[in-house]
Amino acid sequence: MVGSDYNADGATKDGGAQSTRTIIVAGQSSQRTREVLRTLRDFTNVIWPTSLEATLEETGSADAACLVIADDLREEPVDEFLQEARGLHRNLPIFVITDPDDVAEAVSAMRLGATAVIEIPPSYAALREEVARAVQ
Amino acid sequence: MKDLPQIVFVVDDDDAVRDSLRLLLKSAGIPCEVFASAQEFLSGYDAAQPGCLVLDVRMPGMSGLEMQHELNLRGATIPVIFITGHGDIPMAVEAMQHGAFDFLQKPFRDQELLDRVQRALVRDTENRARLRHTDRIRERLATLSPREREVLDLVTQGKANKMVAGDLGVSQRTVEIHRAHVMQKMEAGSLAELVRMMMAVAPRQ
Repeated sequence: MVGSDYNADGATKDGGAQSTRTIIVAGQSSQRTREVLRTLRDFTNVIWPTSLEATLEETGSADAACLVIADDLREEPVDEFLQEARGLHRNLPIFVITDPDDVAEAVSAMRLGATAVIEIPPSYAALREEVARAVQ
Repeated sequence: MKDLPQIVFVVDDDDAVRDSLRLLLKSAGIPCEVFASAQEFLSGYDAAQPGCLVLDVRMPGMSGLEMQHELNLRGATIPVIFITGHGDIPMAVEAMQHGAFDFLQKPFRDQELLDRVQRALVRDTENRARLRHTDRIRERLATLSPREREVLDLVTQGKANKMVAGDLGVSQRTVEIHRAHVMQKMEAGSLAELVRMMMAVAPRQ
């Protein structure tokens, strides 16, 4: 796991799934990113790379199961990062977490290649379901 | 064949919205037709008509999302701009996942809608040009014999004539002849062009 400072290995419970493929979380160190990581704690191979470069490297890897853009990034606007990630991996499920009711941001993310946009709170369950589908 | 002029179709059950959009589009010199319901639009819809669709999400009877589903079932490629006064993220995501061109929340500025409409009309032109291109490739593919098609599939996988001959159990000279026929019938100037043609008509993953 290149550049990872977080690994949410844990027992599989409801909504969790064991997989050797990597679930990549991108986002600055913030409450929302930590909420997303907590939401995915029952999945194995969840990584939160410490740099954008490492995140993109993992995203382009054949082992990638999905990318979750949890929050703003320190180094780059989310829209640009999303386009870059989509360019690296045409079929990778990419989920963007957004604030509730920000429809314009959700539409923009979908146009740029997001597979789905999930509002947090309240849709923690939706995120677990999407990621479980992606790792299967 | 000359293309038909593009038309913006507006489908909204609100009389005031239909009237204001008609006036707005007319003021911008964009031909427009308005409909009060999804059923009214679908009953006369002709997929050959270029343009785009401005579609209200919530309507009595068939909703905008249901109408989008129906258009998808019919294989329609018309760009759809959804407009709604009560949009939420799951609704917008669903519309975009099913191929919506855009999703606008009311109230919106006139220029905002006009910009989206112009972009949707450009997209429609591009879509139709791409469809015409792939149709022409499919027509050419249909003229190939089964053996020529086999040769085409193998050479576009990157196999050399010698390997194709081995795979098909024929001589290399026979492969060369089939390959020349393929290039001629497909009107391809190079192997790279042939590969691009096959990629253009390959089913999307």
